[in-house]
Amino acid sequence: MPSPTITTLLEGHRSQPHQLIEALQDVQKHYGYISEDSMRSISDELGVSLMEVYSVASFYKAFSLQPRGKNIIAVCTGTACHVRGAKMVLNQAISQIGAEPGEISKDGLFTIEHVNCLGACALGPVVTENESVHHHMDPGKLRKLIKSLKKGDKEGASHV
Amino acid sequence: MSKSRLKTIKDLAPLRNSLIKEREKLRATIVICGGTGCQASRSLAVIDEVKKQLAKHKLKKSVNVRTTGCHGFCEQGPVMVIEPDEIFYCHVSPDDAAEIVTKTIRDGEIIERLLYTDPVSGKTIKTESEIPFYLAQDRYLLAQNRQVNPCSIEDYIAIGGYSALAKTLFELPPESVVKEIVNSELRGRGGGGFPTGRKWAECREAPGDEKYVICNADEGDPGAYMDRCVLEGNPHLVLEGMMIGAWAVGARKGYVYVRNEYPLAVKHIQLAVEQARKLGILGENIFGSPFSFDVDIARGGGAFVCGESTALMASLEGKVGEPRPKDVHTVVDGLWHKPTTLNNVETWANVPSIIKNGSSWFASKGAKGSKGTKILALTGHIKNTGLVEVEMGKSINDVVFGIGGGATNGKAIKAVQTGGPSGGCLPVEKFDLPVDFDALADAGSMVGSGGMVVMDESTCMVDVAKYFLTFLQDESCGKCVPCRLGIDRMLEIVTEISEGRGTSDHIELLEDLGDTMSTTSLCGLGKTAANPVLSTLRYFRDEYETHINEKKCPAGVCQALITYIIDEEKCTCCGLCKRACPHNAIAGKKKQVHSIDVDLCQKCGICMSECKFDAIQIQ
Amino acid sequence: MTQEVTVNIDGAFIRAPKGSTVLDAALGAGICIPHLCRVPYLEDIGACRLCIVEHIENGRSKITTSCTLLVQEGMRILSNTDRIRKLRRNIAELLVTEAPNSRAIQDIALRCGVVETRYPFRNSDCVLCGRCVRACTGHFGEKAIGFVGRGKDRRVESPFNLYSELCNECGRCIDLCPMTIVPCDGNMKPGEGRLCGNCESKMLTEEAAQGYCIGCYMGDGFQCERSITNTL
Repeated sequence: MPSPTITTLLEGHRSQPHQLIEALQDVQKHYGYISEDSMRSISDELGVSLMEVYSVASFYKAFSLQPRGKNIIAVCTGTACHVRGAKMVLNQAISQIGAEPGEISKDGLFTIEHVNCLGACALGPVVTENESVHHHMDPGKLRKLIKSLKKGDKEGASHV
Repeated sequence: MSKSRLKTIKDLAPLRNSLIKEREKLRATIVICGGTGCQASRSLAVIDEVKKQLAKHKLKKSVNVRTTGCHGFCEQGPVMVIEPDEIFYCHVSPDDAAEIVTKTIRDGEIIERLLYTDPVSGKTIKTESEIPFYLAQDRYLLAQNRQVNPCSIEDYIAIGGYSALAKTLFELPPESVVKEIVNSELRGRGGGGFPTGRKWAECREAPGDEKYVICNADEGDPGAYMDRCVLEGNPHLVLEGMMIGAWAVGARKGYVYVRNEYPLAVKHIQLAVEQARKLGILGENIFGSPFSFDVDIARGGGAFVCGESTALMASLEGKVGEPRPKDVHTVVDGLWHKPTTLNNVETWANVPSIIKNGSSWFASKGAKGSKGTKILALTGHIKNTGLVEVEMGKSINDVVFGIGGGATNGKAIKAVQTGGPSGGCLPVEKFDLPVDFDALADAGSMVGSGGMVVMDESTCMVDVAKYFLTFLQDESCGKCVPCRLGIDRMLEIVTEISEGRGTSDHIELLEDLGDTMSTTSLCGLGKTAANPVLSTLRYFRDEYETHINEKKCPAGVCQALITYIIDEEKCTCCGLCKRACPHNAIAGKKKQVHSIDVDLCQKCGICMSECKFDAIQIQ
Repeated sequence: MTQEVTVNIDGAFIRAPKGSTVLDAALGAGICIPHLCRVPYLEDIGACRLCIVEHIENGRSKITTSCTLLVQEGMRILSNTDRIRKLRRNIAELLVTEAPNSRAIQDIALRCGVVETRYPFRNSDCVLCGRCVRACTGHFGEKAIGFVGRGKDRRVESPFNLYSELCNECGRCIDLCPMTIVPCDGNMKPGEGRLCGNCESKMLTEEAAQGYCIGCYMGDGFQCERSITNTL
């Protein structure tokens, strides 16, 4: 039985198969990821085969099929950030958190994502942590940022 | 300000005039950039503080604060311009707000320390138009960003917005509009460079009553953010262009497909659509004409390939973004198998001014075969990074040195990468080439969507090829063999080369494979996927050869081929690096020169960023 | 009565029904253009790119897949030029180094002129030709399997990678799969650089296929319009 929340969430898309991506976006925003149950509900409500829902959900990067960590750390790996050393920043994040991009860290606190260009190229390398944007990052600064997030203390996280 | 529906064309001019009168009453307008770049530098806090100070000094009624989209000079953000004198302040912080309001606004004095200092002359410059960065540009589209608050349709109308649409609906039958665009020689600004007029003509002639226009705002090229700034900063300009296009081809419905990673752009275009609907500029019988048109906003799901037109349409239909063969053009068989005109944000943005000023006005700018202006995202290793707009035909030199200000960090500039992952790298010797569709394509690169990343000698070109292949491998839809397996094998080979296992056969193999991918892939992504490799092989072959023959990376980037060492002469034994190293790879007692254990070193670079004496180097 | 058009393929004038593809027209006339993802009763998608031909129009040559190109009156097609052969060979080389232990793919590779290979062999058990997916998604299918993921991660799976309750075990996917049709006799291992040729020696000879196949070595399961009834 689909939970009442998800049925209400999908109300606007009922019986409209072409709204599949919008429906998935609503679910992703609300729950933080797309679960098996959500996909079944979407399949029923929109009239799309379950296979199609799964195909679409797995194709687009915006949708996470796994739950994500409490803090989403997105490292911009666009060209401008790359030539300024974004790869080292990303590697630092991966080794410090102990999880590959898209995965959730063991303590459930972090998920790293790499994004292709946030459009703040003049300030690269750019890292966003939840809603905040940090610029001119390097491995050392990121190390401090993640440490302070771990402590739950945001003082060290103000961008330099 | 009247907010009631504009029922007929006669209602537009009076509204505009009343808005202009309101503007003229103001003592000053403080324009602050609220684009994503400046927001990262806390421009929103500046805005709040300025508003507080204006209220405090009872200037709220006579001074307007206008939050705008990107001004382009991102390196200097947060950027503020005070009208009507055009005083330009940069690196403004919230703490400056009080002084700005009392000194500049109230007392008419300039605050020297907030002015831009020209690095060449050493002097400060008072107004925006005198700054070399802006002076060297030809800002037709971007200049509007300063004049409008994107969340205000009134601002857009005040500067003459929607008058081109009005002219179209009442003076120009659809065929004439198509003709104007054909004569303007406007070419697509999203990367393809296809003649826009021809596209519209074909769509107009395609059989069928139901047609669509689409705005492709799925700007996926990493390092490119031109479309974001136009859509965030001036959404009505794009809407007006789409409406003129819809009239021309016979469409009644339009879609704006915005990349998922641009929430502010989505917000602004949605608001623009709502505001236009309220005023009757979208909907039934616009301005009392027989033209009815409405727009839906769709968000991308996070897929670079959805920038390809057939993949975008599949995505709009709720499917995976897999391109399909285009043996029949999308202008005949497109969205829902109906005739569809899909154009890029910047292409649509150029349309209103072509209608307003005429096709010969547009065609008088730019170069042969590449008319008009192009917005470029100039980034990388140069002093002035940001968004610039130039007449097509200006040379790369003009852009990189004239506007970009040349190298930063004192390192020599080596190359410029244009056109994103579908484009290529051009060496310094080719910087006299014009920014022109055909010239750059002939040289093995392309103008593409306008991304221009400048690279200095600290960039390894083999690494650049590897970077783009990694990106494309992730983004390929995977349907066709030459793209999916071709990119995979190319990346395998380039990785071998970057790790010192390259052989002399590899270069020929890369070129052969590249030719196969370019000729036989199903869509544009696959067809251009080999460009980064092919262009770096063409112009930087020696770097590949050094990696292969000498197993060295001249730029000091490829991790397998470099070692981190501590310069004994510079080391002050402070121990900072040792404490910072997460892998315990640095040894050294107090007052003893430290050293790095090569076996433990993971080359993460933390020690180098911690050392304050520049004692850690890459060999 | 369906309308017919005349097209010129490799110099031969061929009549074909309007609305059919160039590949169908060619195969029907015995011109065996190599192909992998095409199955007569399923949608043509142009995924494998093996069936490329040169379409000559206004003096210019455009290379496109013949399975997605519809016949038009007076069309001129070249399916076996040096350029096409070279490109096809490269595509087949990518396929066979990806899945060297598939008999059907080896056949295709040999047909396309691949002998020496320049990439290290991998041992994928799927080349993503999409035959199974299309068989399961089309009119006949239950939509129990489909493509999942993108790019390097693209694979064929059932929802959540669990056995799908929708599968009615019709077996069509297995029948069509190039990896399972007549399993390979040889055993090429990753690291080897050359096709072993064991299967080549067992190819249908022209005499044995008299009146049926023209001896193009496509292998069972990849019949052209003239069916091969012999099995090896």
